[in-house]
Amino acid sequence: MTKKFWIGLVIFFIIATLGVFYQKYVKPPRCDYDGSPVPPIYEVEIVLKDSATKKFCSIYCAVQWFKNNKHNVDHVIVTDEIRGNKIDSYMAHFVESELITNETNDNRIHAFQQRESAQIHMDKFNGSIVDDPFEPDE
Amino acid sequence: MILNIYTIIMLFIAVVSLSLGGFLLSATLKTILSFGTSVSSELKTKYEQKGYLIFLLACIVIFIRMLAWPWFYFMLQSFVIEIPGAMCIFGVTQILPVTVTFLQIIKPISFFFMGGWIFCYYVDKAHPTTPLTRKILLFLLPLCGLLFIDSGADIYYILFMKPLISVSCCATFFDVPLRPSAMIPQAVFGKNFDTPLFILYYSINIILIILLFLKLSEKGKLLMPLSDKIFLYIQSGIGLIAIPVTILSFIEIIAPKLMQLPFHHCLYCFIGNGMVPDAPLILGLFIIGLFSIGWMNILCLICKNSKTPQVTEIFVARINSLSAFCLLASLIMVTIHLVLT
Repeated sequence: MTKKFWIGLVIFFIIATLGVFYQKYVKPPRCDYDGSPVPPIYEVEIVLKDSATKKFCSIYCAVQWFKNNKHNVDHVIVTDEIRGNKIDSYMAHFVESELITNETNDNRIHAFQQRESAQIHMDKFNGSIVDDPFEPDE
Repeated sequence: MILNIYTIIMLFIAVVSLSLGGFLLSATLKTILSFGTSVSSELKTKYEQKGYLIFLLACIVIFIRMLAWPWFYFMLQSFVIEIPGAMCIFGVTQILPVTVTFLQIIKPISFFFMGGWIFCYYVDKAHPTTPLTRKILLFLLPLCGLLFIDSGADIYYILFMKPLISVSCCATFFDVPLRPSAMIPQAVFGKNFDTPLFILYYSINIILIILLFLKLSEKGKLLMPLSDKIFLYIQSGIGLIAIPVTILSFIEIIAPKLMQLPFHHCLYCFIGNGMVPDAPLILGLFIIGLFSIGWMNILCLICKNSKTPQVTEIFVARINSLSAFCLLASLIMVTIHLVLT
């Protein structure tokens, strides 16, 4: 094996490590409610009226924070659990099921962009559709 | 038609390939038809000059067409924002589905044969008497056909692409319980197919890499005292099995884990949504690694009974080394992601 061969492998090793580093440390922030790492798939963003954003690791944490800070909130962005897309909470379909997303707070509420995805999840994990937990009071 | 920088470049590539390909085809045909069994030295010089032009043109056109494959996916990715309901390339493929499917099949086939031709050309060029010229010219003819079909389909697709058609999301196809990518391994390994499929993916790739390394070293040849031909057949056989195993493993296990979306099995999201920044590199290395085994077969077939056994051997060894490198690099990258993520 030539030197070039091993140098090339080392380069790809470094690229992959940098890829993981990017995924793990550059992208995900910490939860503004309990300080735990925010898994990209369950991330909830609360956008405040002054355009600042708060990030949460689960719908449970976001709801707890939301209850006490409703008057400051402009809108809430949730993550589609299937594709990881960020969507406004009023457009999302929320399902409460037996599947727990976060063992620490026992969060069982899941957000989906597509109704079909919510239906599949309901069938699979014995769930039911619930109202948007971030709806402002009338 | 969706007009952006990607479609303009793709159209340019297609038009240039078509026009240069037309000239290349006529020049190749003329040269082949005028090739006699015995050629005078004066005529030989003329052929050499003309042949040089044909091969230079062929190299340019083939290189452009080979680049068109990855560019095609860049173009599809750029269409995502233009199509209502599309969230990744899958949504884009719902418009003109027959043409897109055809393009997704013809492009790797073109890439494979064009890559094979380039290696044959370099073997011929490396030999002082260029004994493969006639065979390489003949090989150019079907390649010109592929080039016309591929470029024509590109132009048709770009011109007839309708941006305002609403499409469905990839989750409705890739994430349903009865998706084909889950049903096939389920039929073979049963309901809990994840672990056996994962083990099979690693086993097949490791065996293939070991075989490629064995062929490179003298010790390896002593360990497996088989003729080069049989060795290549074994590698090709395992390579063919590796294709479906790797595709299924990526869709079912690796892509969801690497994207950190355990319920999402879309390969288009894996390569296009930026969640795994080096995903196109992982898949690209695997493809080049596997195609290299095929290129060795093409080289052996074209150079069969020719006067270039030593040069062919050197090139086969180089491609073998390229294959081992690409497959090993791809496997290392997947492993690093799985371990560290």
